[in-house]
Amino acid sequence: MSNFFNAAEAPVVKANRLQSSSLNNRMVNDYWTEVFNAKAEGKLVCWYEGVAINPLMQAADIRWVHGEAWSALLAARNNEGPAQEAAESRGYMKELCSYARTHIGCGVLAQNRGVEASGSSFSDALGAGLLGERVPAPDMFISAYPYCSTGQQWDEMLFRLFGKKIPIFNISVPWVWGNKKDAGYLSGAEFKEATAYMVRQLKECIKWIEVQTGKKYDYDKLSEIMAYTKKAGELRMEAIDMCAVKPAPASFFDWTTSLAPVNFVPGGPEIVSYFETVKAEIAERVRVGEGAIPQEKYRLFWDGIMNWNKIGWLANKFAGYNATMVAGRYTHMGFWHEHECIDVNDPLEGMAINYLVCPINLSAPLMIEEIIKLCKKFEIDGMVLHAARTCRAFSNPQYLIADAVQKRLGIPVAMIEGDMVDESFYKDELVNARLEAMMEAIEGKKRMIIPHAA
Amino acid sequence: MKQYVMGIDFGSTTSKTVILDMEGVIVASAVSHKGSVSDEGAKASIAEALAIADISQKEVIRAVSTGYGRRMLEVSDKSYTEITCHARGAVAMVPSAKLVIDIGGQDSKVIAVDPQGLVSQFAMNDRCAAGTGKFLEALARAVAVPLEEMGPMALEARENIVISSMCATFAETEVVALLAEGKSKPEVLGAVHAAIASRIVGLVARVGKREPLVMTGGVAQNPAAVFHLEKALGLKLIIPENPQIAGALGAALIALDEARSDLADAADEDDKVDSQIDAARCGTPTCTAPKAKAGVQVIHGPLRH
Repeated sequence: MSNFFNAAEAPVVKANRLQSSSLNNRMVNDYWTEVFNAKAEGKLVCWYEGVAINPLMQAADIRWVHGEAWSALLAARNNEGPAQEAAESRGYMKELCSYARTHIGCGVLAQNRGVEASGSSFSDALGAGLLGERVPAPDMFISAYPYCSTGQQWDEMLFRLFGKKIPIFNISVPWVWGNKKDAGYLSGAEFKEATAYMVRQLKECIKWIEVQTGKKYDYDKLSEIMAYTKKAGELRMEAIDMCAVKPAPASFFDWTTSLAPVNFVPGGPEIVSYFETVKAEIAERVRVGEGAIPQEKYRLFWDGIMNWNKIGWLANKFAGYNATMVAGRYTHMGFWHEHECIDVNDPLEGMAINYLVCPINLSAPLMIEEIIKLCKKFEIDGMVLHAARTCRAFSNPQYLIADAVQKRLGIPVAMIEGDMVDESFYKDELVNARLEAMMEAIEGKKRMIIPHAA
Repeated sequence: MKQYVMGIDFGSTTSKTVILDMEGVIVASAVSHKGSVSDEGAKASIAEALAIADISQKEVIRAVSTGYGRRMLEVSDKSYTEITCHARGAVAMVPSAKLVIDIGGQDSKVIAVDPQGLVSQFAMNDRCAAGTGKFLEALARAVAVPLEEMGPMALEARENIVISSMCATFAETEVVALLAEGKSKPEVLGAVHAAIASRIVGLVARVGKREPLVMTGGVAQNPAAVFHLEKALGLKLIIPENPQIAGALGAALIALDEARSDLADAADEDDKVDSQIDAARCGTPTCTAPKAKAGVQVIHGPLRH
């Protein structure tokens, strides 16, 4: 008797991950090594959260710690435990954003650590499982958080934690409502006003950075960085577009592991060459018909934020279902995806636009239209909505998204629970039943499409 | 030797087995109450069903399992989720069904189905046991009323009170507090059933309200659960004769599709699919739906391999 996707009966399948991802790991390690060396090299360290404002700091020769990226790294390297426990024992509850909780925990650990911990290298800290404790303390904070209420307060919490002595700058990212008559995605008076408001704040932030460094801001350097960033964004989106073919040569999970170069890795020739390599690998896969999983039978969309504890594990899990997670809101609707808007000679407006249309900052009607376009483009059979327990910002619109794709595209959805970096919120058996039910519904539908005999 | 197929719904609190003959007629069904995903319970319901049918396991040419323990059963050739099987079983029992509510031990689900018994949309309870059979069990224990008596007793309530907690454990605390305040058992139990209904209303909203609406699962036998659901939804529920076996029946029908497909002498996959599609359509020579005792049904089967 033949079987199909049933998990119990499916062999363990390894996803065919992109080889070029390993280059990304090296870049990330190099970057964090530099951060850990910052103090010894006399560089200022900025802690920040939210959108990718790091080019602003890079142009001023400041090193940066992005709270979410740092927490995700800890989770991916199984180093998150001590930081999360430290935050909880300080009084930050488990339901607080796990990124914030982990990062704040690092702040708590930084207060408690002994002298021997300072000046630790990244590799030593990683080897000792003490990444959370040894991350260099901040000399400044910048907050630029769209939509999420925790994000907007997270830097202030850290500011308080570090004794209210460290300078802080807050950029307020307006929510893109799209309610005015002429409003559309990237268009309309409301969006233009929001963009102008952002640009004004970015300029203010640059003046503030000048005060912190005591140096005149290098706008040419910013243009140079943004030229690399724009190119990397362009190459990434071109490579993503190439995944519309069947079988898809790369999956959502590959794109999640390729986020660092368009999120916090310094803008330079390496990020461009990284995406050139990724694109070339994808082109070769398209040429020979090689897929992101051994056998693509279903094509899925991932709505919601990533579960960083489980990237490889989830990639293999879906490979076992013969399902390619082709696209996702998180990866495909953010991270310099609107690269065309960036004028490298005057990059602030293009930067502001990309910050405004990040994947949580669009109101549901605008967001749903963009998601539906992606589902059509990538010929999606079903949608997995990952409701991260501690990221309500991502999961708030998910019932609306689920409803829209079911009604308008007629595809089944499965809502699963998990988290970004707190493993304890993920329950595999509950997830399995929902995913398998969705896959069974897709299978049933596919078979019914076969035309009836006369 | 006559041949049969079997569907087993190995649930978190009960195990259900249905045996069909190759015409799709139910020859036996059995329900066993034996603890959480108990292997013993599954074995007992299988043995009972075999005894009722007066056949041996060897005569069962294909078995399909569903429910929380679906992967643990050696006797089953394949497993499907409760969503797929309940949808299939419910449509077999009530062919006009468009929406199925199933309140099981561990989870509750609302499934929109197409006329072929295929799942078009579904929603399940997330996060906790609120709105499940376990919730009822825990609160029956708190009120010290046997599970089977709690429904009828809840209907005697004269005053509407509210249990606000959605967590089964906290609701238990709330129930104890209400009893301590001197509220009567029927009133407290009425509130318990209203709380379940409010959870299900939320799930129905996610899938979209539609009629005819069928309720399956053991909780469908509880008159207070049905009363409060109907009240909260403003719709009439159709309760099949034996709602608890819907999942097992669905599994058995899928086993039947698969067994027929295995028996077919189709040369290639396309032919197999075509013959399956033929079998799916009432009026073709292979369609045995009207003979099945589980109501007038369409036996069909895109879900087979």
